[in-house]
Amino acid sequence: MPMIQLSNIERYYTTGLQKTWVLRQINLNINAGEFVTIMGPSGAGKSTLLNIIGMLDQPNNGEFLFLDEPVFQMKERHRNELHKQYMGFVFQAYHLIDDLTVYENIETPLLYRKIKKNERQSIIAELLDRFNMVAKKDLFPSQLSGGQQQIVGVARAIAAKPKLLLADEPTGNLHSTQGEVIMDLFKQLHAEGMTIIQVTHSEKYATYGSRIIFLEDGFVRNDERIGS
Amino acid sequence: MWVNYLKAAMRNLAKQKLLTLINISGLSIGLACSALFILYALNEFNYDRFHPDVNRIFEVYRNTGKIDDPDRSMDTYLPMPLGPAMKTDLVDVEEMVRMRGAWGDEFIRVDGKVGKMPLNFADPSFFRVFNFPILYGNQQHPLQDHNDLVLTRTTAVRLFGQENAVGRTVEIRNGEEYVPFKVTAIFADIPAQSSIQLDALANYELLSETAAGERYQNHWNRSSFQTFVKLVPGSNLAQDQPRLDAFRQKYYPGEEAERRSRGLWDREGIPVTYGLMPMAQIHTNPEFFNGFASPANPETIWLLIAISLGVLIVACINFTTLAIGRSSGRAREVGIRKIIGSKKRHLMFQFIGESVLLSLASALIAILLVNYLLPAFNELANTNIDFNFNRQLLFFLVIGGLTFITGVLAGIYPAMVLSSFEPLKIVQGKLRFSSGNTFTRSLVVFQFVLSTALICATLIILKQLNYLKSSYPGFNKENVVIVNADGVDTRTIGPRFKQNVLAIKGIEGVSGSELSLGEGTGWSRSGWNDGTEERSAYEYFVDPDFLKVMGIELVTGRNFNPEIAADTINSVVVNEAFLRAFNWTPEEAIGKELKGYYESAERVLPRVIGVVKDFHYRPMSEEVSPQLFHQFPDYLPHKYFIRLPSGDPAPYLTAIGKAWDEVANNIPYNYAFLDENLDRFYQSEARWSKIIGWAGGISIFIACLGLFGLSLLSSMSRRKELGVRKVLGADVFALIYVQIRNYFVLVALGILIAVPITWYIMHGWLQHFANRIQVGPGIFFIGAAGSLLLAFVTVLFNSLKEATHSPIEAIQNQ
Ligand SMILES: Nc1ncnc2c1ncn2[C@@H]1O[C@H](COP(=O)(O)OP(=O)(O)O)[C@@H](O)[C@H]1O
Ligand SMILES: [Mg+2]
Repeated sequence: MPMIQLSNIERYYTTGLQKTWVLRQINLNINAGEFVTIMGPSGAGKSTLLNIIGMLDQPNNGEFLFLDEPVFQMKERHRNELHKQYMGFVFQAYHLIDDLTVYENIETPLLYRKIKKNERQSIIAELLDRFNMVAKKDLFPSQLSGGQQQIVGVARAIAAKPKLLLADEPTGNLHSTQGEVIMDLFKQLHAEGMTIIQVTHSEKYATYGSRIIFLEDGFVRNDERIGS
Repeated sequence: MWVNYLKAAMRNLAKQKLLTLINISGLSIGLACSALFILYALNEFNYDRFHPDVNRIFEVYRNTGKIDDPDRSMDTYLPMPLGPAMKTDLVDVEEMVRMRGAWGDEFIRVDGKVGKMPLNFADPSFFRVFNFPILYGNQQHPLQDHNDLVLTRTTAVRLFGQENAVGRTVEIRNGEEYVPFKVTAIFADIPAQSSIQLDALANYELLSETAAGERYQNHWNRSSFQTFVKLVPGSNLAQDQPRLDAFRQKYYPGEEAERRSRGLWDREGIPVTYGLMPMAQIHTNPEFFNGFASPANPETIWLLIAISLGVLIVACINFTTLAIGRSSGRAREVGIRKIIGSKKRHLMFQFIGESVLLSLASALIAILLVNYLLPAFNELANTNIDFNFNRQLLFFLVIGGLTFITGVLAGIYPAMVLSSFEPLKIVQGKLRFSSGNTFTRSLVVFQFVLSTALICATLIILKQLNYLKSSYPGFNKENVVIVNADGVDTRTIGPRFKQNVLAIKGIEGVSGSELSLGEGTGWSRSGWNDGTEERSAYEYFVDPDFLKVMGIELVTGRNFNPEIAADTINSVVVNEAFLRAFNWTPEEAIGKELKGYYESAERVLPRVIGVVKDFHYRPMSEEVSPQLFHQFPDYLPHKYFIRLPSGDPAPYLTAIGKAWDEVANNIPYNYAFLDENLDRFYQSEARWSKIIGWAGGISIFIACLGLFGLSLLSSMSRRKELGVRKVLGADVFALIYVQIRNYFVLVALGILIAVPITWYIMHGWLQHFANRIQVGPGIFFIGAAGSLLLAFVTVLFNSLKEATHSPIEAIQNQ
């Protein structure tokens, strides 16, 4: 059973009298444990697709089954629960909370999931240790480099142990050495069994994954599995 | 979880120091205002509750119905035998106490030194009915003998320099001699929140020994005394009107039939009866003149609270509009929190929590402010509130509640707006923010409606007040000194004093009168019946010089003439209002007799010899009422009106003092200026103008503070736009104009709304005054221009700063 089943997903915006199509007839199945890279020119609809999968946006047509449950027919409460339970997000612009420290940023999703204090501490300690950020735990985002901020972003995204990690151009604002650090992290997470869907413009970073989907003008033009 | 919120909130507040400062100062001033008035209200509503049996104590009042007036009038001056009769006839009455308030100050002598002291009288049961603990002396029977005297602790210290003055003697002047009284007990000072206020208490029985007292003792038609009763527990006498009616009828058996036959009563029930007013309600019952501490009008109290809450709302609005104004700064946080799993509920909680936190901080500052401002407030509101952290538990509960509500109210709208942002749009940077929406703009408008209305109202009150004080009252009130001759035997001393004063070079005239003008108690009123209708007029005992000294004009007839013997027996001079009341023309009036003036027919009826032009001897706010002057022989002057030439009064005052000391052996010289006395009529208007003026000033200050914050935010967010405009060639004026245009519209709209509302309310207020100003556009123009100017200066500050910034910096910073 695939984790994600998209059938005939369509998304358009109406501007004035005109319809601008962003996603056309998308049919995709993604299994648990895959590491999918979405590529395509700017404006192709990559982010839109990722946001629909992340349940942040809704298509105009089509059906989306997540673990065999129809996402857009379920109650909003239920959908929010699924979102909260299964998904982690990493953004191009990091989107850390400026007024919270590194430690507190990572802690926030755990708070929303009502995880007990000592358990929280051990989860965060482990993540900080793993990402080599222990010394920086009390700093604020503005005191970190972009690469470091993104590492915190990844740590925060996976802190609540999501089944699916969604990353929209996570390396887009980073220079190459920093980017590689992030990609190495993703590779490790994938090896540990996490399902990952990322958007990137980099051919090189695409090779870290197990499957590349190529979007153009809202259509899936190509979908290939790669060996690694 | 809340620790996480708290940290984010604190750091956010710390980052926005200026805005936080604006919010906290506004809220703390608003809360301090409300706290003061709530303290005031609690104080006023808590009078007399220190008597443990307060629910069983009642003041007796007489309840008189009139034929053409559905409201019955209440009065508490009751006959002497009433109390004992109630105790005998009504089983529910466990105790009764009759009291007579102090009639001015008595002259006293302690260790040979002459002084003054107000003296009250009460039955010995006083200490059993009320809870006034005795500190020293006879606990059981403090007022046993007729010449026993009980003092408060402070009075004892004042007179004897020590608290325990039990056994000492106070000599109280009675006529020409001093009578010794023995201090038998000292009781604790009376709390400020007591309707009964007194310094010294003598035995009521003593009154029945005096000549007047003997006449009054069993007289059911002479009323000068208050009566309180304490009922047995569980009694329903206060609600049992039939029993009180029956009691009245027992002592006035023919009254109902007589009034009906004379056409003075035609409704069901009996025309005059008694009622029992619960002790705890006396203070806030404005119609209930109790003769001790002046009562408070609950309407006034609520109005003050409403005004102070208005100021608080203005401060709340600052919080709301500023929170919305900087919501773009918080929006990203909201978006991220939502994406990583926050529910809307969490965010609502977080943002409301933030504003509650802020209002809590403000409340702490407010309480410090209250503590600091209380003395000034007491003076402003003429109250006597002390701020005691232990005793004001209720106050702290109310303020705690108010703080919480303030926080929630201020925070709820921003919380709703912020927490409903769509995370995707925020994170993509697609949400556009403006510095406010229609709702927050209307809040700003409301702030200026309220502030401008208060300011215009203040101006109107001030103008009216000034009008009352400066209008010609119908007599010449300038340059008149009133010498107080209370306690002096003016029958013998008066003529000598007048002579001495007239001998001073420059003095233009002296006149003796029973009453002063302009003091709260400076009038007497008598009601009589001229055979058809109840009549009443303010009566003044004066001497023949009064009209001349005061500059009162005679319309027709003549003034009193010392040569004519009848003038001291039955001649009266009346005013024009008196003629109107009797429907007489001035020509008819001369020679008319006042029928029914005396109860018994033996005495010669008063006869009108002259009519004077109406003058305002009562506040100018009232219509002039019927008035009559006489010099009947059983009266004595207690006040001397002396007309000085204009110029420096000091030498005359000294000379008059010397003249006084020559005749009045040992009685201190005591004077006042007539115009200052008259100004006291307008104390309450003067107080209102100050209170509302302060409220208006504070509220416009807070509103401008908010405006400052808003313009700061919007100028910052428009920095790039302004930079671009500048590069395109806009000059400083154009840049300022684009920035302040919007605020100008909001403030102007607020003023436009405020004007008709204020006009309507103040027009109503002015109807209370028989003599009033016309409210023209001028006053509103001044108020509006003031508000607008303040707002303009506030906004200009930020705009100017942004307009003179370097454009390159602004553009590059993006
Ligand atoms: N809220 C919106 N309203 C109108 N058009 C939008 C909106 N969001 C995205 N688009 C359009 O949809 C297209 C796809 O956007 P996006 O998914 O962000 O592309 P990509 O991430 O591949 O660059 C773009 O042409 C964009 O302009
Ligand atoms: Mg994109």
